[in-house]
Order: sequence, then structure tokens, then C-alpha cells
Amino acid sequence: MADSRLAESTGLVTSSRRDGALDEALQRLAAGQVLDRPDTPDLHVTALRRLPPVPAQFAPFPDALDDRLRHALGTRGISQLYTHQALAIGHALAGRNVVVVTPTASGKTLCYNAPILNAILQDPASRALYLFPTKALAQDQLAELQTLCETLAAPRHGSGQAGSGDQGHQIGAFTYDGDTPQDARRTIRSRAQLVLSNPDMLHSGILPHHPRWAKLFENLRYVVIDELHAYRGVFGSHLCNVLRRLRRVCRHYGSNPVFICSSATIANPRELAGRLTEQPFELVEESGAPRGEKFFIFVNPPVVNQQLGIRRSYLGETRRIASEFLKRHLQLIVFAQSRLATEILTTHLKDDFEDVPGAPERIRGYRGGYLPNRRREIEKGLRDGAVRAVVSTNALELGIDIGALDVCVMAGYPGTIAATWQRAGRAGRRASRSAAVMVASSAPLDQFIVRNPSYFFDASPERALIDPDNLHILVDHIKCAAFELPFSTSEEFGRHNLQEILGLLAEQGLVHRSGPADDLDSPSESAERESLRSSARTSEALPARGGGAPRELGRWTWTNESYPADAVSLRSVSSDNFVVVDTTRETRVIGETDFTSGPPTLHPKAIYIVEGQLYQVERLDFDGRKAFVREIDCDYYTDAITYTRVTILDTFAEKGHGPFSNGEVQRLAHGEVHVVSRVVGFKKIKFYTNENVGSGELDLPEQQMHTTAYWLTIPAPTMALLPYASDDRRDGVLGVAHAIRQVAQLLLMCDRHDIGISIDMEEGTGKSPRLFIFDNYPGGIGFSEPLFRMHDELLTGTRRLIAECECKSGCPSCVGPIGHTGPLAKAAAMRILELLLARELAPETAEHAEVQPS
Amino acid sequence: MNSLADRIRGVLKTPGVSNVSPASAAALKALTGCATDDLQAVLGGEWRQHDGASCFVVETRREPSWAHGNETVGALAGRLADAAAEASLVAGSPAPSPFVFFDLETTGLSGGAGTYAFLFGCGSFEDTGAFVTRQHLLVRFEQERALLASVARELARAGALVSFNGKSFDAPILETRYLYHRLEWTGAGLPHVDMLHTARRFWRREGGADATESSCSLIALEQQLLGMRRQGDVPGPEIPSRYFHFVRTGDARPLGAVFEHNRLDLLSLAALAARALHLVRLGPDATRDPREALALGHVYGRAGLAARARGAYLRTVSLTGASMGMSNASMAFSDASMAFTDASMAFTDASMASLRIDALRALALASRRSRAYDEAAGYWRQILDVRGGPRHVAREASEALAIHHEHRLRDLAAARAFALRSLDNGTRWNEAVRHRLARIDRKLERLKSEVSSLQFGEPPDLRLET
Repeated sequence: MADSRLAESTGLVTSSRRDGALDEALQRLAAGQVLDRPDTPDLHVTALRRLPPVPAQFAPFPDALDDRLRHALGTRGISQLYTHQALAIGHALAGRNVVVVTPTASGKTLCYNAPILNAILQDPASRALYLFPTKALAQDQLAELQTLCETLAAPRHGSGQAGSGDQGHQIGAFTYDGDTPQDARRTIRSRAQLVLSNPDMLHSGILPHHPRWAKLFENLRYVVIDELHAYRGVFGSHLCNVLRRLRRVCRHYGSNPVFICSSATIANPRELAGRLTEQPFELVEESGAPRGEKFFIFVNPPVVNQQLGIRRSYLGETRRIASEFLKRHLQLIVFAQSRLATEILTTHLKDDFEDVPGAPERIRGYRGGYLPNRRREIEKGLRDGAVRAVVSTNALELGIDIGALDVCVMAGYPGTIAATWQRAGRAGRRASRSAAVMVASSAPLDQFIVRNPSYFFDASPERALIDPDNLHILVDHIKCAAFELPFSTSEEFGRHNLQEILGLLAEQGLVHRSGPADDLDSPSESAERESLRSSARTSEALPARGGGAPRELGRWTWTNESYPADAVSLRSVSSDNFVVVDTTRETRVIGETDFTSGPPTLHPKAIYIVEGQLYQVERLDFDGRKAFVREIDCDYYTDAITYTRVTILDTFAEKGHGPFSNGEVQRLAHGEVHVVSRVVGFKKIKFYTNENVGSGELDLPEQQMHTTAYWLTIPAPTMALLPYASDDRRDGVLGVAHAIRQVAQLLLMCDRHDIGISIDMEEGTGKSPRLFIFDNYPGGIGFSEPLFRMHDELLTGTRRLIAECECKSGCPSCVGPIGHTGPLAKAAAMRILELLLARELAPETAEHAEVQPS
Repeated sequence: MNSLADRIRGVLKTPGVSNVSPASAAALKALTGCATDDLQAVLGGEWRQHDGASCFVVETRREPSWAHGNETVGALAGRLADAAAEASLVAGSPAPSPFVFFDLETTGLSGGAGTYAFLFGCGSFEDTGAFVTRQHLLVRFEQERALLASVARELARAGALVSFNGKSFDAPILETRYLYHRLEWTGAGLPHVDMLHTARRFWRREGGADATESSCSLIALEQQLLGMRRQGDVPGPEIPSRYFHFVRTGDARPLGAVFEHNRLDLLSLAALAARALHLVRLGPDATRDPREALALGHVYGRAGLAARARGAYLRTVSLTGASMGMSNASMAFSDASMAFTDASMAFTDASMASLRIDALRALALASRRSRAYDEAAGYWRQILDVRGGPRHVAREASEALAIHHEHRLRDLAAARAFALRSLDNGTRWNEAVRHRLARIDRKLERLKSEVSSLQFGEPPDLRLET
């Protein structure tokens, strides 16, 4: 941080030269454009926005901050704080949970390091736990933290600190994760004041062994959750339960830590922090960090085949644009969507710009799977300028320190507004201009965003959703919690009735309830109680040991040989998975995939991609959960055709629109469903053009799942109004489904695999077709209710996606590729959506009825 | 029907933990005819009071005449008493008597806060030669603290703890239980002799069909060394479910066999310890096979008793020489031949070779340390004579011999031959060896030119090994 401020003050001369170079490159991209011009409909630059520079806003150190810490910060060039830092530190010092929404490089680490180091300076027994979503981030933060700790430990001259005995005492900061050597663990457990870890390790390595971490839990003052926005969906739902267990263990040891969270820009940071920790939060979202002027540009590669809606390769376009900046000696980062794309772009840019072999590499690739040393070297090269361009997957999206760059080029839309801003934030110096360019691919989501820049620039970013009370997830963590500490018969855990769940676990023999009701023939129950009462520690979780706690409370003790945390993976719902075995040369496992996505991605003849290498599945051993693959060289990938049938089990809420002239009511609802799906075939899709180049049939066992869904009924009379033959009507519904899925994914801020779609349509029966969007996880993950709420947005968005597509009669970017649907699919889909929306947008004729079934 | 309950049942049906294996479930069923809650009646033992807390303890006495395999308790006690001083050698640090043998039965193997030690068994010899075990049972989870306090008092009288695999399993589990209750784990301050490591050294069987792991289990050792066959013993994996049955129903009868299992483990542990210490006391001549002799060498060596270690290693060499048909070994053979022919059944040629090499290597290193270089060279040569030894040792030996010949004997040709041999044996090209060879060649060149410049007279010392 001090370094970058220093660079800022000395870099002024070069920064004006850089500004000129940037302007030139931008002129090349959007020729003849005035910089403030919003759109360029004629060309393929669809948006060019200017974000004005923002000066720094400073605030003094909070009074409560220890003098030694101020001095240490001063030594490192920090003599005052940005306003958001001061606010956040103030809240944390006062013991209030705080979530800080921080743009990239705004000094967020100080927001949590300052109050924590302050606590340790005042009481060296204090402890803090940092949770990062990845091990690499923890390593990165450790380096920064250690520098600060060293400054603190260095003896001070001429200060009136004679009385304090711990001057020069080194604060113990350690990472504790799967890479920590066994023999170092004991030392870390006893010596670490700051423990940097990740949720997975907390879940399976720390909480189940809490007695060995007694010092940490007794003295835990702060818990840091960095990159809060990463914890959404299944991962977030798991983390919430891990934090329930953490707080339960803390209660046992008599501590009540303050949570400090940092998040990228999402719509609901305070809500997410609150839901994850089940604690109230203060929100700090006004950044006081300075920012230079910045340009944001959307590029849509030109259409090369109007008929099929095929555009020029977005990777080629990315290469061309990156070259414009590289030529002008600007430092840049290119984000690609996959490891494969990363390697391709790195190769191309090296071809264009690398010197003779053996010269220092100025263009580097960066992705998961590179060895740590190599990554560190690249990060350092970026900071000191030796590396001119890096092509990265999302691995560099999170807060790894690579300094500030001039330009960010994104090859493909990152998938969410939040991720796009975060990636864009990688470019942005404080005193000079920077630019972010998004090059859209032909994926529907990309096309929607690039044609609707205002959706990105003006809409609020996504909401991060979690459902910690998903029974599958909850029950798993109740097992883990029972292993850690017996539950009392009055305890609660999550939204569902814990006692009832424990009763069922007892039926399975996993826990045992003991209490006064089934006392054995111990002659001195009362004497024992006395001895327990006199023991030093009291605990809520163990009422028997809480002095004077009423004895009638029973307890549930874990009575099983297993170690339940081992059976629970935080990154997916079920721990059952398929492994991928490469048999090309010697047999080796090269990957794994969770159970639900096994059949669609690992069916026979499927193309499986890992680290840019293509493999073809030769055999799927369904019962053995193994897929045997062999290396292959081909120019297509596969997309499974899944036949899905959804049955409604329970309707949670329902809305009706209508009635129409014939008495029909258009219904939309959400609730619990039973999904039966079977992979019946697959398509071969050509890379980059998304052309369908072949197909095959498959016979695989069906999979069943209870989950939640949102569904929409298209009334039969609406269907009857369509001026098309029944096949074309059917294509219209398929087209709507293809498009609505993309928009739902956009609105939910979720991954492609998180949701599934199914159509219930029987032709010629006069029955109203029904369209389900279901959560692709057993038990549901909380997407259905928001979709139900955002129904209007969902339909208007879908209509816009199709209407604005430049293809003539359907393409992969809107209603699906030609061949998949008929020639009238696009037109029919548009008519269906218009009819559905017309009903809704005329409230005077549509009676809005809310139905809440019990 | 409650819908939450149904949904949870659905969730629980998904693959996960199964509690009781079918076999053990059947075993339990056979045992549960009519339940009785009377612990004393079923298990013997009594509730003991201390500081107002109570703990259920089963105390069992085995008189000196009691037979354990082909030993008696009294004989074990006597041997242990005689050899108590040797415990420090085995442990590698001071381990004074009295010894308390201990062994846990637990609710799982994984460790962590939810793994309980439900049965703490400990045993020790009385002056009379009787072996007394005290077994603490966790009757109710709420009484764990009282149990731990009682166990701490039990251990307080120990000079050293003796266990089988206790360092990596029992002690950490107990430590966690103590930490859980914020009590101090008494064992941390006591010397701890883990007999598993010693037993592996002395008695691990070679090559058999069983996995190496189980071939060194307490039960396997007890068969091998004490001629014991347990009748109706509880298989280890069944033990937790028997305890869970007791917790749920109060029926203690399935625990009877668990208590007996634990008592047998304790007595066999004591017997192993007695045997090992006895061997250490008597020295190499008492060993029956080369593995015992080698293990003894390690014990002495680690304790810094160089002379005794040397004796044990020499004994190993002679015992292995006998079986490998080498002439120089026949002398030390006679006294051990009876036991040896029997024991040698368990040794393959490969394991014989490896024991022999280990002993020779230890001898060579020890000789080098004491600057008896010629002796060391002799042992290194013997290592090269053993067929089928590991390459890295042969390489080490050749290298040592190359150094010896180059720098001490100044026999460059031989040094060169050994250096080349150390290359052959290595799979990778070794920089150091290449340097050595280059240096030797330079020296040889120099010698040759000196010879040619002399033109006549005796050639310098260019002895060639045959």
C-alpha cells in the first residue's frame, strides 16, 4: 500500500504519457468518437462510458487506536485513513460487526488488520481467525500481515513505552490449511494469534478438534470473512452452517467474536453478511479511496453470417484489442472464461509480442494449476512492471496483490455484474486514466449484456442468495455440530425444529439422548452435579456444567464411529461424486465431478476438458462412479440432451393473472417438486461458432431429485391465439425456454449448472404448457422464490434478449440454434412473450390475485 | 405423518454413515435376551467415590500362577522387575518404574471432539507378582469429567506409561478428552514407552500373506511369541457398536467381552514389554533370530552403548551368514540353532539380505566414527558381497570404498573401480562421482607421466584389485 502511494507521487510524468497512449488506443477502437459519446450503434462498440476521477477522502485515525499501531502505520507511509477505513475500523473497535464494500485496491485489508492488531497489542492473548475462499489468498494476505507485524515488533526509539514489556515481541500470524505440515500444526495451534484459513479447513480440520484449539476459541475477538460475495448458493449455505457451528463452539468457550467482512459490490452485502453469520451488521459502502478517470467499453464482434447469427471469434477480437494497448506500452490484464481460452490467448499474444526465445517473458498466462512459485513470480513481475500483460482465468479476480494496471480486457462476459466490476477494477491507477473492455462472446448472456449496456451500468448488481436451511445441508452440519459438542434438549440450530431432527438422527443411531428420564443406577448423581458446579468453566452448550442450570435438560451425544465432517464437502451438496480416469497412457485420475452433473458431462462419447486438453469419455461405470477417458484432438465439445420430467409436490405460493375472456387464469408459482431426469443423447457443438455438428443417442439410468422450482403456465387460450401450426407453437415454447433460462441465470447471479429447465407440454391435448425452472440441487438452494418475485423482470428480460438478437430466425444467442428448433421459433417465441406480457401490463383488466395455500 | 420428519428421513436415506454392521447387529441380537441394568452383576466392579464424584471401575487380579499363553504372570513380573532399568534404553529417554500399562477402547478411530474413550484400562504388577488391572467405564457421558479425574489419580503413581501404539492413538485421544474438560492431561508429564515401535523392530514378520500392518498387531505378536490363541475375542471394529448398544439400552452384557479383550491386551502388552526388556538385559546371545539381534543393536546404538551395539550387529551378521551359506558364520550358530531353525522359517532370502546389510552398514558407520577405517572398509566390502541388496546401499558402500582407496590407501585403480561401480548402481548421473572420477583420472595421469619420465625403476603403487 505504501509502495503504491509512493509510485503515485513519483509516477506523474509517466502517467501523462500513459494517458496519451490510452487515448490513442481508445480512438483506434472507437474511431472518431468523442469520449463522452454513449453508444455507437453502427459499429461493434456498443457502449463507451467515462467514469470521472474521484479524489481521496481522508479521515483521522479513530481515537481508540493504539499508539504503537499508528506509529507502525506511519512508518509504512500511512499517516491518515480513507474515510471508509476509518468508519470500518471504528465500528470494529466498538465491537460492532461490519461489512465493508470495497472496490479493488481501496485498502480493505487495513479495515480488518487495524482493529485486530489493536486488540493484540492491548491484550496479547487475543486471537483472530481469517477466512479466505482460497489458500492462495490466505498466503497473499499472510505476507502483507507479516510485514505489518514486523514493523510493530521493531523496537521504537524515543517513545514513552518504557513500561510495556512486549516491545519487540513478534505477533504470531500463520496460515492453517491443507498444506500445513503435520508437525507444524501443534505449534501453530498454541502460538498463532492470527490464524489465516479457509471455510473448508475450519469445517473439517479445526472445529471438530476444538479442544486442541481451546486458546483460540477462548480468546477469539475477531473473525474476518474476506471476499464475502464468493459465499453464495451452495457454498454460502454451507458456510452459514459452519459459522453456526463456530459460534456454538465460541459460546462453549465463552467468547463472542466480532465479524469483519469485506465484499465486492453486490446488491445485498449487509443482508448476505447478516444471513451468513445471523448477526446484525453495520454497512460501510462509500469508498474514500481515490480513483483515476476510467473508460468502460463494450465490444460485440461483428456478425459474419447473418443467417446463422455467427459472429467473428471473440478470442480473435480480444487479441486484436489487447494488441492495440500492448503496442502502446500499456500494462494490461486479459481475463478469459476458461483455462483453454487462457492458454490460447497467451499463445497468440506471445506470438505477437514476445522477443526472441530466452528474453524475459513479458506476456504471461496465469491460472489455477500453475505451481505457487510460478504464480508468485508472475505476480511480482506485474507489480514491478517486468510483465507487460497477463492472461488469466478468474484466478486473479479475487484480491491477489498484483498492483494496479492500465487496462483490463475481458474475453467474454464474466457472468455477473459483480464479477465484471471486480475484474475491471484490476485496471485503475489512482492518478492516471485506465480502461476496461468487455468483448462479448456469442453466448446468450453475453449478447444480452452487450446489447443492453444499461442493464450493466445502471441496474443494481446481483443479489447473493443462500439457503442455509436446505435440509440436506442443515442435517449434515447438525451431525458435525453434535460431534463437536453435545446438543442440549433446549438448543436451536437453523430454522427447522432441531429437536425433531435430532430425534430422527437418534433413530439412525447417530446420536443418543440422555437425561434425567433414563438415569442409570449411578448412586451419586447429585454429588456429581456438585462437582461439576464447582468446575471453573461454565457453558451454555453443556447445561449440565453450567452452574445451577436446571438438571431436567437432557443432551444429545454423538454415538457413531464416523467423523461426520469428512462426509461433507462445502463446495457441493452431495459428497457422492464421479471420478474421471485417464487411460491414454498409464491410468490416472484427472478430475472429479459431483453426482448430479456426472451423467450430463461424463456420458459415453462426451468431450471432457481439463487444462486445455480434450478427452473423450470411452466408458462410464455408473455404479462404480467412474468415467474412463482418453486424450483426443477435436474441434467440438458435447452438450447433453437431458429428458426431464417435473411433478409438483407442494405449492408454496401462487399468483394468478386473469381471468381471460374464456375464464383461464395464467398462473405462476413456486414450490416443491420431484424431478426425474435422464440423459437421452448429446449434441456435438463446434468451438467458437457454436454450430451443431452432430449428435448421438444414449441410454443412461435416470436420476431423481426432490428440489424446489418456479413454474409458469402458458394458458391454452394464449397458445390458441398464436397464428402458427402446432409444431411451430411448440418451437416457440422451446425458444422461450432456451432464452428464459439465460435470463434467469443472469437475475439469480448463479452458474449455468445451478438451475435446470423443463417443459411440460402435451401437444394436441389442449392442455396449457408449463415451464419449470428448478434448482439443480437436492432440496433446492433458494432460487425459486426470488424467480417467483422477479417474474416480470424475467419475462421482459427474455423478450428483450430475443427481440434484440440480430439473427433472422433464431440462433444460439437467443432461442437456440437452427436445427434444434424450427424456422419460426423466434417469431413464435416473441408472440408468446408479448401475449404473456400484454396480460400483465394491463392491470385494469387483469385482476391481480395473491394466493397463499397453507 | 409429519412432513418435516418424512423429508429428513428422505435426506438421511442418501448414502452416508451406516451404524452397525450386519454381523455385529446379529451378534448383539443374540446377546440381548433380557436386559438388566445391574452393572456390578454383569461386569463385576463397583462405583468408586472421590470428591463426591463417582466412577465405575472393574478391578481384576491375576495371581502369579495365572497362565497367559506359555508364560505365567509371576514369570513376567519377575523378568520385568529384573530388567526394569533397561526401559530407558528402549524408550530412548529415562523411563523409571513403576510401569503402568494402559489401553483405551474408544467410540471411533478418527479422533476429534466427538470420539470418546469409553473404557480406560490400566494394569500394573504388584510386588507379589500379581497383575492387577483397573478398568474405568464411561457409564454416562455426563460422568466423563469424573472418569478423567479418576484416571489422572490412577496415573499419578506411574513412573512411566507403557502402551501399544499409544503415542499416536491412545494418548492423543485422552489428551483431547482432558482438553475438552479443561483438565490437565497427566500423561504429558510422564515418560511413555510405546511398545509398537519396539515390537516392529524386534518381531515384525516378513513377507507373509497378511499385510505388514496386521502382522504386527498385538494379537499376531501374542500368537507368535506367547503361543496364545484367544477364544471368543471381540473383533476390534465391533467394539464401538457394543458400547453404543449399552448406551442406548443400558444392557451391559455385550461389554463383558470388551472388558476381557481389554484385559488380555493389557496382559499381552506387559508380556511384550517383559520380553523386550529381558532381551535388552541379557544381550545378543539371547536373541533367537537375526531380526531380534539387529533390533537390539539399534536399541544399544541409540542409547550410545557402542560396544554392546557392535556385539548385537555382529550377531546379526553371523546369524544371517549361516542361512545364506556363508562360511564365516558357522561359529556363532550352535547356541541358537534350535530356536533359529524354527524362526528362520519366517525369513525369506530377501529379508535375510536386508537384515545383514543393515547390520553391516551400522557396523561400518560405527567403525568409521571410531576411525577404524580398515574395519569399516571390510564391512563395506561385505555389503557388496550380499546379493540382492538395495542399490542405494551398494552405491553408498562403493562410494565409501572409493574414498577409502583414494585418500587412505592411495590405491587409485581400486578407487577408480569403486567409483565406477557407484555410478553403475545409481540410476541418475551423479555429479560428485563424476568429479571424483575426473580427479582420480588426473592423479592417474600424473602418475603415468611420472613413471614415463623415470623411464625405469619400480612403478608406483598401482595395485589392482582382483
